[in-house]
Amino acid sequence: MKAIKAIYNFIVGDMIILVGVIVAIVLLALINTVSALAPIHGATGYVLIAVVIGALAATLYREARGNS
Amino acid sequence: MQWAIATAAFLASAVEFVEAFTIVLVVGITINWRSSLLGAFAAAATLAVIIATLGVALVKWVPINDFRLVVGIILILFGLKWLKKAILRYSGLKALHDEEAIFEETMAEIRARGGTIAPRFQPFGVALSYKSVLLEGLEVAFIVITFGSSMTGTSGNGIASAAIGATIAGILVIAAGAIIQAPLTKVPENTLKFIVGIMLTSFGTFWAAEGFGFEWPLSDAFIPIIIVIYLIASFGLVTWLKWYKQRNAAMEITSNSSIPDSKQEEVRS
Repeated sequence: MKAIKAIYNFIVGDMIILVGVIVAIVLLALINTVSALAPIHGATGYVLIAVVIGALAATLYREARGNS
Repeated sequence: MQWAIATAAFLASAVEFVEAFTIVLVVGITINWRSSLLGAFAAAATLAVIIATLGVALVKWVPINDFRLVVGIILILFGLKWLKKAILRYSGLKALHDEEAIFEETMAEIRARGGTIAPRFQPFGVALSYKSVLLEGLEVAFIVITFGSSMTGTSGNGIASAAIGATIAGILVIAAGAIIQAPLTKVPENTLKFIVGIMLTSFGTFWAAEGFGFEWPLSDAFIPIIIVIYLIASFGLVTWLKWYKQRNAAMEITSNSSIPDSKQEEVRS
């Protein structure tokens, strides 16, 4: 358990960022595997950028709320 | 010597070397050069072993897209972590402090006590430098093999020409990096961390999407566009956080002033 926590703290140390990136990977994997989502395959990169910015905004909002 | 192959390999490899060197440079300046160079040399050694073992079959056996995806995701995680801290400091939600000054102060104290300071390797810095150099080095190897193989057999050795082009690109990028390294050390600490965060997140996004087979418009030339997108988003977030902080402060003042003076006196006593 300690080792997992150490790896988590070393790589990210922020649950919202981690969840955001996992959501991004799942979304991109779906876009690239589900045939119904094939029309948005060309938007893979932009979806990733949007989710990354969303995760950053979410974690900053949490920090701002914690400070106020 | 095939000049067309050498020139094409030089240009393509220069882009990859710039990408790898950017990360080695920022790790060297913001963490320390020992960690950065250790990571870079370890990656070069790993690359040498991979190339010596697989040779031209490298293109066949190394799943470069899977590697791009893993490195990309880790870089996004690292990048967002740094970016978050830098944005919080810019917006005033976290105190701006010079960690280097604190580090120097601590070192001076240790020296004053007669102690010795062991050079520290930061696993974070070593890992960042290692992954980036390994990924980009593999891409350079792919360029040399694919460009070179396409012409081998027509006249002379294509792979040798491509390797010469790539080597010259590597030497030039390292030389240019050595020149710009000194002025970069004068940039304030939080600004550097902000730049590192933007760079890591941008490269991470680029590689992770490529790992899914996505082809960016303009290829590698799209990286500066991603950097600009993240810069705009970050400035927007700093502005929003400043506004949020001011609004909360104003609300606090209003709520305090709405408490009757007699009540405030009671609380004080």
